Amino acid sequence: MTQLPEANLPPLHGVRVLDFTWVWAGPYATMLLAMLGAEVIRIESEGRLDIMRRIIIWPLFAPTPQVIPTNQGMAFNSINMNKLGVTIDLERAEGIDLVKRLVGVSDVVVENMRAGTMGRIGLGYEELRQVNPKIIMLGSSARGATGPESHYAGYATVHHAVGGAAEITGYPDGPPSTTFGDVDLLNATASAFAVIAALNHRDATGEGQFIDYSQCEGVTSLIGEVLLDYEMNGRSPGRQGNADELMAPHNVYRCWGVDRWVAIAVETDEEFATFARVIGQPELAADPRFADAASRKKNEVELDRIITEWTRARDRDFIANMLAREGIAAAPSRDAEDLFHDPHLRARDAFVEIDHPELGPREFVGPPWKMSDCEMEAQCAPLLGEHNDRVFRELLGIGDEELAKLRREGVVS
Amino acid sequence: MTRGAFAGAKVVEYATMVSGPYCAKLFADMGADVIKVEEPPAGDPARQRGPFPGDQPHPERSGLFLYLNTSKRGVTLDLDRPSGCEAFRRLVAWADVLVDNHSPDRLDSLELGWDELRKLNPGLIYASITPHGRTGPRSQQKGGELTSFHAGGLGSLLPTRSEDTSRSPIKAGGYPTGYSTGLTAAVAVAGALYGRKANSAGRLIDVSEQEAILALVRTNVAGTIYHRTPWSRVPERPPALGRLQCSDGYVVALLIEDRHWHAFVDLMGNPEWASGPEWGSLFYRAGHLMEIGDKIGEWAAQQKKEDVHHRGAAKGFAIGSVYNAEEVMNYRQYLARDYFVDVDHPQAGRFRYAGWPYKMPASPPLVQRPAPLLGQHNKEVLEDLLGYSTDEFLGLCRTGAVWEVGGQ
Repeated sequence: MTQLPEANLPPLHGVRVLDFTWVWAGPYATMLLAMLGAEVIRIESEGRLDIMRRIIIWPLFAPTPQVIPTNQGMAFNSINMNKLGVTIDLERAEGIDLVKRLVGVSDVVVENMRAGTMGRIGLGYEELRQVNPKIIMLGSSARGATGPESHYAGYATVHHAVGGAAEITGYPDGPPSTTFGDVDLLNATASAFAVIAALNHRDATGEGQFIDYSQCEGVTSLIGEVLLDYEMNGRSPGRQGNADELMAPHNVYRCWGVDRWVAIAVETDEEFATFARVIGQPELAADPRFADAASRKKNEVELDRIITEWTRARDRDFIANMLAREGIAAAPSRDAEDLFHDPHLRARDAFVEIDHPELGPREFVGPPWKMSDCEMEAQCAPLLGEHNDRVFRELLGIGDEELAKLRREGVVS
Repeated sequence: MTRGAFAGAKVVEYATMVSGPYCAKLFADMGADVIKVEEPPAGDPARQRGPFPGDQPHPERSGLFLYLNTSKRGVTLDLDRPSGCEAFRRLVAWADVLVDNHSPDRLDSLELGWDELRKLNPGLIYASITPHGRTGPRSQQKGGELTSFHAGGLGSLLPTRSEDTSRSPIKAGGYPTGYSTGLTAAVAVAGALYGRKANSAGRLIDVSEQEAILALVRTNVAGTIYHRTPWSRVPERPPALGRLQCSDGYVVALLIEDRHWHAFVDLMGNPEWASGPEWGSLFYRAGHLMEIGDKIGEWAAQQKKEDVHHRGAAKGFAIGSVYNAEEVMNYRQYLARDYFVDVDHPQAGRFRYAGWPYKMPASPPLVQRPAPLLGQHNKEVLEDLLGYSTDEFLGLCRTGAVWEVGGQ
């Protein structure tokens, strides 16, 4: 796609992405592309809705069980902004034909169904390549599209376990802990990176390609040093809580109130002297148990006990602010409410407001970066089938008669 | 002969530890020419961190450094000396991308803030990674791996199913903040590089560690604020929706769809206590699964984890073993996919590293070279890339502006 240089165009302006994704790991990948200026079109099917359109994220504690109306799932809305949405029945040959027409005018296809599913419905890479030889397709599956476990299903927590990260997460004396959907969003981020890399390659060489993305491998690639411990020493690292291999204090400490905590990390001897002064025990800096990093690490349990005596009688934000003023890294352990109301995040416009057609204004977390000349207005996630007219008419040039026929036959809803 | 997807891209990395180095590694392994700038005498502090072979600390044998710095060339410049800073300026003028994870004060103090950088190189893409971002009331505050993880909201959810609230929230293991932030920055930089075709003006990319973590809990924030369904580290999450302890370790299963639940019950041998029709409802299970949690636990305790893992997967639901490093390194699926990559380093030796989660046959990622020794490419970068004469180069070495190991 040739374009004249123009000021203030977002970087992926002119890139069109067909989005067959669902749940979290796929949708967030394409939203990141949208946040860089790509035109993303969600292809949805009434028969197999993205479960996130309707479900409350876990755990579900509504007083009476409710299915959320199709367009009102907040997790869905938070990871599908700035996209268009169309509905096509993918179980019908006419639907597949319609998709292929879209593929002909697109750059990228992203899907995160079980490996092989797209091929079975006639939309595998080999088929799409016949339509558009330069197409880039990313298939994000639990364990990759090849190998003996390519057909295994999975969700984020399972990938976290298999990928080796749950084993190293938890209290030293406790069981392994998975995280939660963050693994999906990390895999989405790496998927977006791979897609842009492939776009770069396509522009340089004219070649498209199929990117086979494994979500378990995505977890493992983020713990490279842990695997090298086994390679180097035959050792499989265990769980460390909040501890660091060199630094102490390096923990999360109980504060005044109910379940209130502050994270504190002290890096140097100078910082420790400052810290000791701030907590009113300057003599600790000269105490041989704590005088240097190695001694502090060795006597960490005792040090943490001393610190907790001080923190537990004080407010976590007071502590964090006080230490920050003295140049020491400290932060409250924030939950979702805290984040939503954090004045610093507010000052940085970390949240964006959209106008939901059914619900009115809502605020969601915005792009995870601030980029100059890439300020785009946040758009509400598409209502189901919201852009059928626009996409089929304007993009494919389908006229009234044909569109009416497609609707009558249920190919487009 | 394959070509990396970012072949031809020129990247200067002025970064330490995990976030900036991981960001630059992703480009280096895809063919970009990445020059890592380290400062004397010790270089990147990641070199002081393990694992080390035989647990013997050595700056050229840190597993953390070796993994995060593959495919890069390395120079050691003393930026506090004017001639060292001048060499850095020339590098920036050469580059398409500068990845920096120091406080903005650092480059400001060298008169290399964003305004100066763009004068020096109007097309420069400058990724500035900081704990809290470059603006806002906390922009000047110190932060790092632990504090940004908790500040960003992920710590409050860990460890999952923690019964005892007298114990603290925790950070995930390893360097989750650094990796997540580096990955986030890489997407923005990749986008900006691609976008140079449309807009050749440089860009400032401001990446906050806190916001990189916040981005990963965005669904949770939305659900909490608008559906009033807060997550915490102590949800009443029953075993079948999480971790199960088997006789020889743990598995993790997640059963959302009704057919997955039925498959799980089938795997347990269809015990009477889980077979009533009410259990076929997602909503019923969400409210009542805790009631049979003990029974599920008793069943699991008599199972072997790999047996449950593979039999469960064959029945079509999401389940997997908790693998440790040894199990990951020997995992049949990874071996079948050639996930790992063998890297031979002149001082550390030959080891098998984690590879990449994306297979890209037209532009496969590749370890172009092992992580650089401290100052390994000083001469070739300064002379061949920046045009210093050999005499000038030796002069810089003599003054310590370029720092040669054993040379001072």
